[in-house]
Amino acid sequence: MEQHSSERRVRTQRTDRIESRANGLLIDCRRAFHSFRELDELAENLRILSLNAELAAGRAGDKGRAVRSLTQYTRELVNRLAQIQGEMHELRGQTFAHSSTILRSLTQLGLFERSCQLVADGDHDERARATVNRAFLEVMTILVETLDEMANVVRDLAGRTHGVEEVVSQSDSIATNIAIEAAAAGVHEKEFRTVSDTMRTYVDDLRLMIDDAADAVRRASEKGEALRRMGLDTLDDLNRIA
Amino acid sequence: MKCVTLFRHDDHCWQMFGQDPDKPDNVIDTNQYMIRSGNAAILLDPGGMEVFPAMLAALTREVPVDEVKALFLSHQDPDIGSSLPLWRRVCNPDIKIYLSWMWSGFTAHFDRDAVFTTIPDEGMEISLSHDVRLRFIPAHYLHSSGNFSVYDAKARILFSGDIGAALVPPDRATGSMFVTDFAQHTQYMDGFHRRWLGSARARDAWCAQVSKLEIDMLAPQHGLVFKGDDVKRFIDWLSALEIGSGVAAMNR
Repeated sequence: MEQHSSERRVRTQRTDRIESRANGLLIDCRRAFHSFRELDELAENLRILSLNAELAAGRAGDKGRAVRSLTQYTRELVNRLAQIQGEMHELRGQTFAHSSTILRSLTQLGLFERSCQLVADGDHDERARATVNRAFLEVMTILVETLDEMANVVRDLAGRTHGVEEVVSQSDSIATNIAIEAAAAGVHEKEFRTVSDTMRTYVDDLRLMIDDAADAVRRASEKGEALRRMGLDTLDDLNRIA
Repeated sequence: MKCVTLFRHDDHCWQMFGQDPDKPDNVIDTNQYMIRSGNAAILLDPGGMEVFPAMLAALTREVPVDEVKALFLSHQDPDIGSSLPLWRRVCNPDIKIYLSWMWSGFTAHFDRDAVFTTIPDEGMEISLSHDVRLRFIPAHYLHSSGNFSVYDAKARILFSGDIGAALVPPDRATGSMFVTDFAQHTQYMDGFHRRWLGSARARDAWCAQVSKLEIDMLAPQHGLVFKGDDVKRFIDWLSALEIGSGVAAMNR
């Protein structure tokens, strides 16, 4: 019986950098979606508030006319939020699908990298090395393409975050206007002021969401771009070698 | 990873790969086998993804990877075939993948793009080359419900998958790939077979079936290879073993 053994495996770090940054990117994306986890509830609260405000405006008669108009704007903003939410759900689905491909590619990349090392000894012929290098290159290409798609998702997410920002700004203006109307509403002042104050609370909550999400999106965007460049550089290197 | 040639006659050859010293400790040790004849090779239980790099490196020392024309998966476990998408990436696109009909949908979780040639319950015979034929012999319920052994009548070797598996503690390993003291070796097989194997009827059927074959070596997916008289000793030992020990936990 013939018997021989391969040499001990040595770990290399070529994909480690990509892996740690990709993990960071996925964490930031998750954080951005997580920031909006209470958006559903806030939109619903805003909707109920606008209905209550409309009832109060009805009770105030002529003095509530302006508030009634303002509540209609509020409901349009609530609809806009619902639309953004739907789009975010879709983006979240895409993010998870891309994350899965990225994680799978990273695992395969690590394994092919180890294979590349092991066949880079004197015992293997050029054919073996070329086969393994080609496999590594293919997986890296898939990874870079997926990172590209992930970068697009992050850009879309930034767009949706901006959409929520606009809703916040307009809600803030509406709250201010309701407060102004309250000052001239006589016996209805207290009711309108409550509406205005509650709306401000919601606006503040939305602002906190935006701040957290915008930070996560910015980080994700930077990491995505850095990763894409890193992947492209690696691909260039690999293609040069090939 | 070690590579041992079990049989060679002209271009017909059996090689066993295993006992990778760099394998992480928490990953169970596995044996992978390659049968070659002419310019065709088949890998039996190509292994989990964790052993893939070492296995690929060891294999390509012996044969160009594009000569691997087929993969055989005895059953669906991850240590058998989670490396499937990696092998498909380095082998020719028309590589054949043999697997029980039961597991193709399940194994697709490892590799959704893989196309399987499914083995019926009765088993089947394939030609590796013009003069080497391999028989896929049913070994259902031992331990997997859709499970096969592989018999090469010319080499007189039976690849038995998990049947005959042994978990030899690293500090008891002798470095050999073969059982040298059967009586001593049973302690490493005992717990595995009692717990993993569930059907005494299936065990009896398998033992009766393989007892009719001329076997010089019985090669399991874990542990050491039995050769010569140890093959019959193993079959006799297995026939008498009380299996299905997990049931005891359900009767409390």
